[in-house]
Parts: sequence; structure tokens; C-alpha cells
Amino acid sequence: MSWIREGELTILERFCANIIKAGPMPKHVAFIMDGNRRYARKCHVERQQGHSQGFDKLAQTLRWCLNLGIQEVTVYAFSIENFKRSKEEVDGLMDLARQKFSRLLEEQENLKKHGVCIRVLGDLPLLPLDIQELIAQAVLATRNYNKCFLNVCFAYTSRHEISNAVREMAWGVEEGLLEPSDVSESLLDQCLYTSNSPDPDLLIRTSGEVRLSDFLLWQTSHSCLVFQSVLWPEYSFWNLCEAIIRFQMNYSALQ
Amino acid sequence: GIFKRNNSRLMDEILKQQQELLGLDCSKYTMEFANQDNADQVLNCQSTLKVLSPEDGKAEIVKAAQDFCQLVAQQQRTHTDLDVNVLNNLLSSTNGFPDPDLVLKFGPVDSTLGFLPWHIRLTEIISLPSHLNISYEDFFSALHHYAACEQRWGK
Repeated sequence: MSWIREGELTILERFCANIIKAGPMPKHVAFIMDGNRRYARKCHVERQQGHSQGFDKLAQTLRWCLNLGIQEVTVYAFSIENFKRSKEEVDGLMDLARQKFSRLLEEQENLKKHGVCIRVLGDLPLLPLDIQELIAQAVLATRNYNKCFLNVCFAYTSRHEISNAVREMAWGVEEGLLEPSDVSESLLDQCLYTSNSPDPDLLIRTSGEVRLSDFLLWQTSHSCLVFQSVLWPEYSFWNLCEAIIRFQMNYSALQ
Repeated sequence: GIFKRNNSRLMDEILKQQQELLGLDCSKYTMEFANQDNADQVLNCQSTLKVLSPEDGKAEIVKAAQDFCQLVAQQQRTHTDLDVNVLNNLLSSTNGFPDPDLVLKFGPVDSTLGFLPWHIRLTEIISLPSHLNISYEDFFSALHHYAACEQRWGK
């Protein structure tokens, strides 16, 4: 299944989109796509099916974001903590990644048409080598597109990201490129994996959990946080609109 | 901040309210302020209160980074020495304190507004409308919500 679902909004969806777009819109939305396994249990299917449907939902959500003019999306696809899962599940997720990144390389035309730049953020050396290669190819192939940006956090935790940034600055000091006094909030910003992106305006977590689970802790310190109880594979256009409306209600307080 | 500058007034108010609300039981629940110098206090009493402000957030992380880079400049450390645990231990304003399990957020704003970004990685964030005239029922239901949360720790 493709990375971006084809298709336009229905008339009703377009009507609501136009109403929402009259207010302030988030430019960058982050998603913690939680609930694939609970969805699988609920529907009596295999976990792997749940994850696969989770990917399909990602493709559909990207489409909605494009339709709404949201230019940048960051998603939490795989945490370093998720390596603790059973070998069977981790292997299944890695296979899904192989399948999807290979597919991405096959649909260059589509990505070019929508101008999607794909970035993958995380401690990539922790991943199997062949996946690292696929990721590198995907990122290189789309690096010049700039109509919209999809950041996939894979083998990622925020604490690792921040530690990596501090390590980079320390390396800079070691090499004589920096003084310790140069270390600042904005320099740290530039050393994070997300340095090419503005901070997310809106962070959405599905499945009812109300924690950040080590995702973009630094970058979301002043973001609008919306926790929704719907399971990720069941996420709808209306759920997205609801989250955007919450963002709009918080807008002036968060400026 | 205002709370930080008026420690003793805050303590007086806490003691007064403890007497009002808990009656005879209040002597069972001792409370101490935790400040930078007295890490031992934290272990010896039942409840510790730590008052934080925005400067304890990102600015603390930047300070820890600067301190580490200073050690590197003095060649007492190399950049490869720094990992998640090392950085965690360098964060001084929350030394000796465990990460919060629960954040009770008061007010209509759906954001952590810079509260301890490093420490809240696994913290449950529960919102209540206001701290003014908060009822025991509301407080208890927030704790109830917390008790129902199921942590999977990534597994």
C-alpha cells in the first residue's frame, strides 16, 4: 500500500475543512500512532495486521494533512524501547519497514507529484543494515522535494536525541570548533535530528494514553497536546478536525 | 518566581491547611521543602515539596550540557563519555528526585508549557480545570484516572 492515499475529501469533509481553515492552522503536526495492537485484539486479527492497518491509516492521514494544507508531519513509528518486544513482533515490524521503504522507492513519481520530502529520525545504526540502506535511499531520493515534509521517527527516543545533540556539541568543543560558552538553547536545537523543522504546533496521541513516551520532549514543550481515545487504525478525518479545533482554542494562550 | 521567594509563607499556609483538613491526623504527615543543599532531607521525611519554575526546564539541560563541555575543554572527559545516563545525572535541579509519575495540570491550556521536558518522558499528564476551590472528589478522580493507566514501557 502506498505512502500517500490517493483521493480528495468528500463534499462534507471539504465543507468542514474550509470552516476550520478560516482559523489558525497548525503548520507542523506530530502523531503518536498508538493502539495498533489493541485494535488487532478488538478485531480478532493478528498483531501484524494491526500494524499493517496502522500504516494504511498513516497514508490516509497524510492525505488529509495535505488536503488541509498542513505542510509538515512527524510520526512516532518505532521507539528504541520497542526493541524490548518479542523477537517475533520486532521482526514483523522490521519486515513491514522493509516492505514500506522499498515501496517508497518504487513510487517516486507519486512523491515527486506531491513534493514530499521524507526524513527518518533516530539512532539508525541500531537497525538492521539492509533497512538502513533502504532508508538512506529513500531519504536521498526525496531530499530536494519541499512541498511537504514527513518525518518518521524510527529507533528513536527523545532522551537519546538530546544526548546525541549534547555529544555533538562536546565533539565540537573537542575539535576546537566551539567554546563551552557557545552552548545555548538554540545551538542545541540545531544539533537535534529535527533541526530542519520548526517545533510541532500540535501533538496528537491516540488510544487514550496520556503520556509522551519519550517523543519530542524538547520540541513539544510549548505545543498544544491533544490526547484522543480512538485507536490509531480507526482514526478518522473528524478526529483530526477535533484535534485542530482544540489547537485553535489554545492558539492565543500558546503564542 | 513568587513561590520560590516566599518559601516560609508557603510552608505556614501548608501547615495551617493540614490542620484544617486532616485534624488530629496532621502530625502523621510531615512536610519539608527540598532545596539544593539538603538532599538528605528528601530521604528522612514523608512528603517533600519542590518548587520549580521555567528556568528548571530547558535551561537546566543547557546548563548540564555547558558543564559537560567545560569538562571536555579541560580534557577531563571525551564526547563519547556522554550517554543518556550521564546526561541524566548532570541535571542538578532535580538531583535525588525520581521522575514524576503524574503531572496534574490545572487550567485551560493544553500544554506542559516547558515543565521539565527531560523528566516527563513517561509521566501521565492529567488535567483539572482549576486549582481554585478544587474539590477532594475532583482530586481523587484524577488519582483514580492515574491508577487506571497501564504502562507498557515500550513492550
